Amino acid sequence: MIQLKDIVVKFGDFEALHNINVHVKEGEFFTFLGPSGCGKTTTLRTITGFIEPVGGSVSMQGEDITHVPIEKRNIGIVFQSYALFPTMTVKDNIAFGLKIKKLPKAEIERKVSDIARKVDLSDEQLAKAVSQLSGGQQQRVAIARALVTEPAIICMDEPLSNLDAKLRVQLRNELKKMQREFGITTIYVTHDQEEALTLSDRIAVFNKGYIEQIGTPNEVYNHSATEFVANFIGDINPLGEGFVNGLGLPGDKHHFIRLERVRVNREKDAGEYQVKGVIQSREYYGLYIKYYIDAAGQTIKVIEKNDGINIYEPGDSVSVGIHPQDVMSY
Amino acid sequence: MQRTVRRKGGLDPSMIYKVFGAVLFIYLFLGFMVLPCLNTLTSIFTTRDAAGNLDPMAVIRFFFAGNMPSFVINSLKLAVCLVITVNVVGISIVLLTEYFDIKGAKILRLGYMTTLIYSGVALVTGYQFLYDSNGMLTQWLVRLFPAMNRQWFSGFNAVLFTMTFACTSNHALFLRNAIRGIDYNTVEAARNMGAKPFKVLFKVVMPTLLPTLFSLTVMTFITGLCAMSAPTLLGYNSINPEIVRMAGSSVADEAFPQARAALLSMILALFTIVLLTALNHYERKGHYLSVSKTKAKLVKQKIQNPVWNVVAHAYAYILFLIYMTPVVMIVLFSFQNWPAIRAKSLNVSDWTLINFFGTQDYSYTTSRGKQRIREGVISGVFSNADTVGGIRLSFVLSALAAALTCVIVVIAVNYIFKHRGKKRGGLVEACLLFPWLLPTILICYSYRIFFNSDVWYVLGKNLYYRENVRFLIVMAYTVVKLPFALRMVKAAFYAIDDELEDAARNLGASQLVTFLRVKLPIVLPSVLAVFALNFNALFTEYDMSATFHSSYGKSYAMVIQSMTAEEGRDGYNMNGSGRRCASTVFIMLVSGLILYLVYGVGARDLGERLERRKKRREFFARLTGRKQKTA
Repeated sequence: MIQLKDIVVKFGDFEALHNINVHVKEGEFFTFLGPSGCGKTTTLRTITGFIEPVGGSVSMQGEDITHVPIEKRNIGIVFQSYALFPTMTVKDNIAFGLKIKKLPKAEIERKVSDIARKVDLSDEQLAKAVSQLSGGQQQRVAIARALVTEPAIICMDEPLSNLDAKLRVQLRNELKKMQREFGITTIYVTHDQEEALTLSDRIAVFNKGYIEQIGTPNEVYNHSATEFVANFIGDINPLGEGFVNGLGLPGDKHHFIRLERVRVNREKDAGEYQVKGVIQSREYYGLYIKYYIDAAGQTIKVIEKNDGINIYEPGDSVSVGIHPQDVMSY
Repeated sequence: MQRTVRRKGGLDPSMIYKVFGAVLFIYLFLGFMVLPCLNTLTSIFTTRDAAGNLDPMAVIRFFFAGNMPSFVINSLKLAVCLVITVNVVGISIVLLTEYFDIKGAKILRLGYMTTLIYSGVALVTGYQFLYDSNGMLTQWLVRLFPAMNRQWFSGFNAVLFTMTFACTSNHALFLRNAIRGIDYNTVEAARNMGAKPFKVLFKVVMPTLLPTLFSLTVMTFITGLCAMSAPTLLGYNSINPEIVRMAGSSVADEAFPQARAALLSMILALFTIVLLTALNHYERKGHYLSVSKTKAKLVKQKIQNPVWNVVAHAYAYILFLIYMTPVVMIVLFSFQNWPAIRAKSLNVSDWTLINFFGTQDYSYTTSRGKQRIREGVISGVFSNADTVGGIRLSFVLSALAAALTCVIVVIAVNYIFKHRGKKRGGLVEACLLFPWLLPTILICYSYRIFFNSDVWYVLGKNLYYRENVRFLIVMAYTVVKLPFALRMVKAAFYAIDDELEDAARNLGASQLVTFLRVKLPIVLPSVLAVFALNFNALFTEYDMSATFHSSYGKSYAMVIQSMTAEEGRDGYNMNGSGRRCASTVFIMLVSGLILYLVYGVGARDLGERLERRKKRREFFARLTGRKQKTA
């Protein structure tokens, strides 16, 4: 569907993207994930045509679009700020692209009401100014505006970042639902790993202008290709000498373990390495509790499901166990 | 290197427009900013002696030998005194209405803000009406104190008094905003640590207002230095009136008047440049920014000491009276007939609308006992040919200049934003800010001298000749208003999210369509506000009108100035003062309407407008429903 081949982007002397290669499949929900300044938005803007790469090519459905003007690419965009035109009504915002294409009025009307129905915007809301809508409604308008011109793909640049936590979760689900309904290829940019994991079919993890790993959420989480990916997605414990020696791990590598893989006060499994530890402190999160445990000469973080029964107090002695197969080594 | 994708192939047709625009911009910048001022500068050093020999230092020698320094000293004296009095009154009115708990603060604020709609020549003539030797207040005072000098309201004192109250508009706007921006938690914190209210005021509140006060002080100083209407009308020998006088003088009357005027205007320019540079330097150092994330709204401070409380209230209401008396009197007298105005007496039986509309004949008896009638010599603002002519001319010229300013600035700012961080963008901005460094009088004087001959630059035309002067006035108005317009419109462009432009382009809009349908509607309220504010200022503008004054360029301000001249002599111009009062009322209405449109209607966004439209419809629907029921 969309293929980036050896893309290089420079800002002055600074090379923002180094030989980026991505292939997004038809109907896929593909996410660019990474910290600020890693090149994910630059890659998206290269696809949409706002940035022209100095090297490499962008092709869509087999056709090279590297030098095709923005408006000719047939790519819909949902911007971070939604970029809704404040001087127009919701209806005029959605119809803007259709009017530019000089479609007949009746067709514009039909298309606008069709898309409004699909994204759950009422006639009353269509007559309103965008400033009169809530954040969630504004996001629907932005999606409707991007979809109404029937683009081949849709690109979303951190569209949930302006919303509060609860609404973000709610709209995340709606977004996924809509994408499935429309069946449209979607490229999504975010720095929020939870958002990426819940929404995506596949994820490309960016770091300093490079792609560190492309894979399904399960692959990037459980089989992180690099130390950066393991560290960026989820939380990890670097294992110190005590655990490395105890587990018999090679000393020339860095070893990590995810918090939920550390076993506290469980019966020792076969092959498991277990040591005694002391609860140093705890953080209560409701659904789970995070413990900081002094064990094997280091502090190790552990997440335990909050069952309301097995809750440890600082100073309690516990056993800490690790399976060698859960260790990620780089 | 990042490059924005452009259409490929062939010559970009917009290139022709760009080249044309650049050439036009350079032509206008050189012709109406650089060359006239350069001509003024060189004229100082190109004077010739009686034998016709070049004597470059003649004006400088004359300056030190003659009385010219006295004009500079007078202007400096006025500027320094004005800084003190305006700051005292300006800070007082803001503290009394925004910081201290004074009863009736809302009414007081309205009174203090009357200078926003009542200023310039209208205000000066209004003060004259009340305070000059025949003024109503002077007459009352003389009745109370017979030994009092009837001529007390003239010269320096009168100028200082008038300008003190005329120049507090900026305090009323900007200092008020600054004090409203104070985080009340800082006041509470200081009180909590044991500081007394006045200690809090001077140690916590006032320091945060210092940057604003510094800017206001510099602007007041420049206003005092460049004062024109008050010194001219109230008789004070400062720089600006002298420049205008000398600009109209000839070598037959005095030694090289134009060169001397040029020198004075250059001195003024030097002062302005130094002061604005200092201001700019100070502003760059930064302001006291509140570090508070959750700012608390300022709560008015009650003055606990009963004596001070009474003193503060008395002071507030005395100031209110000073602000309001001229306004109220002018409004009341605008509805009085001419004998009542001459007698300075208010009487319901003398109520009339003749100062606004219609004409009346004047009947009188000659010294030989014959009865004569002068037809139509009593006339209203909208029936007097001279006044209507002045209004019409000022209306057209101001509207043209205000519109031209907006067009230039919108195109320029769009260009500046497209080329942000590039030299050409910065250069265009610097060119448009250039007039800010020059006093208005220098620009006008330079125009008057430079274009008062057949100038090759404008195809051999004399732009000061006959009707051409109107074009010159429009250009001067435009140039003078460019910096203010640029700052306002630029601020509006900052509000445009870059992503809006990207979104429009992504949806297929060309750059022109994006500008016209996305960016322009967003900045339009600000552009219209700039248009309205500039129009308002220019409509009754005095300084430039006085410099370009001619029978073909007699603006409304000049008409107002001349209204009382030779009032009633030989039975002509019988109700000049009444018409002047009516003119002031008309100006106040126009200014008030413009301010309402700018800050009231113009400030509403689309959502508010739609909401209001909905409510209106519902109201009319209910109304229609009721009527139908009744029927």
